[in-house]
Amino acid sequence: MICPACNKSIQGKNNRCECCGEDLTVYKKVYMMSNRYYNEGLEKSKVRDLSGAVIILKKSLELNKRNTDARNLLGLIYYEMGESVAALSEWVISKHFQQETNDADRYMELVQANPTRLENLNQTTKRYNAALLSAKQGNEDLAIIQLKKVTNLNPHFVKALQLLALLYMKAGDMEKALKNLTKASKIDVSNTTTLRYLKELNEVTSTSAEDGKAERKEERKVIAEPIAFSHAPYKEDKPNIWPFVNLIIGIAVGILGAMFLILPTVKDNYQSEYSKKINDNSAAVNEWQQKYDSVQKEKESQDTKIDGLNKQIEELKGSQSDDTIYEQLIKTAALYINELQKGSSSQIDYLAVADELAKIQNDKLEQTEAVALYTNIKQAVGSNASAALYEKGHDQYSARKYDDALKNLLSAYELDATNVDAVYFIGRSYHQLGDYDNAKKYYNIVIEKFPDSWRVNDAKQRMTDIQ
Amino acid sequence: MINFDEEIAKFQPSLEVDQAEEVIHSNDLSDITDIIKTMLKEIKDRN
Repeated sequence: MICPACNKSIQGKNNRCECCGEDLTVYKKVYMMSNRYYNEGLEKSKVRDLSGAVIILKKSLELNKRNTDARNLLGLIYYEMGESVAALSEWVISKHFQQETNDADRYMELVQANPTRLENLNQTTKRYNAALLSAKQGNEDLAIIQLKKVTNLNPHFVKALQLLALLYMKAGDMEKALKNLTKASKIDVSNTTTLRYLKELNEVTSTSAEDGKAERKEERKVIAEPIAFSHAPYKEDKPNIWPFVNLIIGIAVGILGAMFLILPTVKDNYQSEYSKKINDNSAAVNEWQQKYDSVQKEKESQDTKIDGLNKQIEELKGSQSDDTIYEQLIKTAALYINELQKGSSSQIDYLAVADELAKIQNDKLEQTEAVALYTNIKQAVGSNASAALYEKGHDQYSARKYDDALKNLLSAYELDATNVDAVYFIGRSYHQLGDYDNAKKYYNIVIEKFPDSWRVNDAKQRMTDIQ
Repeated sequence: MINFDEEIAKFQPSLEVDQAEEVIHSNDLSDITDIIKTMLKEIKDRN
């Protein structure tokens, strides 16, 4: 105990202060009364008779303002009823009277440790005051909206629940009024205002529904519910995890809803859009395919035309070449006639005739008369021309002009297939040029076709040299 | 029957955080002990 006169701590059961000598008998009785009220207030708070506890605890503090237990409990009750600023005020005063080992420290730390929570409490209070002002000005609808937000932020705000219920009653929405009053009665079971509103609500519903006895019974049961709940044991305000759990469940339900409702729709949209694109593309492909086929057919017809024109060109060319062939034959025949007119055979230039004769493409001669003319000229000129060509080729061979010699010797052999000398020197010319295959070929011709010729031994010798 | 306007008028604004300091300072913390102490002092002074 602390001496009221000198504020010194007093030990033991002495009725007089050892420090200042003040008689403490009356004070002790007053303190005992204060403590008794505190105990009574504690009992009431344990059964959630918060309004009753507030009245008793205030009496306790009127007797002894230094009863910090009573003041701390009063702060807790205020906090439970949503009066957070009043609660903080009581704890601050409690801290003023008892600096050390005061539970108020812990309570204030819990509230002030979370600035967001403190700000929410302040916002809740401000909104409640704004709603109250709106209600007093006759804006009940606006007040109801604001109070619904307030009760969502702080479901233990008894005054807000009561005011909201009153506004609902005024608006004739008895069910919502009953719901809010039920909530309020669960927090503070013997609140006079709550009980009065419930009674009024019960009377209104019973008189307005006389013909529906069954319904009235149900309503009475509902109204009686908070009274039955009023005996619930008092519990410390613990962190409520249900809003968080509900939030998680809500998010999960939302995601599942999106998966089962929105996603299939989106998927169908994409599929239909995709199918439409595929159809469009298929149509475009078909169109291009048709165009390609028509172009292909047109190309084939054009190719056919080109082939026909080419054939015509070839035929025209053939007729032109025929003219050239016959012109060369006539030219050769004219030259041969001119040479014959010289009289002496030694003066005839067989080589010139043979040269012109070699230019005729005899395999392309078709007319019988032309073939006969070619054959006659060749027979008449052949051996002489062949001999002359051989002489010329031999001279070139001797001069080591093997390529030039080879041309004349081959012409000589062509004009006269019995000219064994020409054949032998064809082989020799190939031999000198290093073309051994052709050399052997012509050596073999000498050996096989002219076995009686004196060139045979030489040809055999050359064959041996090559091998 | 409740008079709604009267009932609404009974509701008082709740204390805001800004008002806390003012409320604490203006709070009358006198208790019975203070009154007894004053009375006893007056009695002593008379004697």
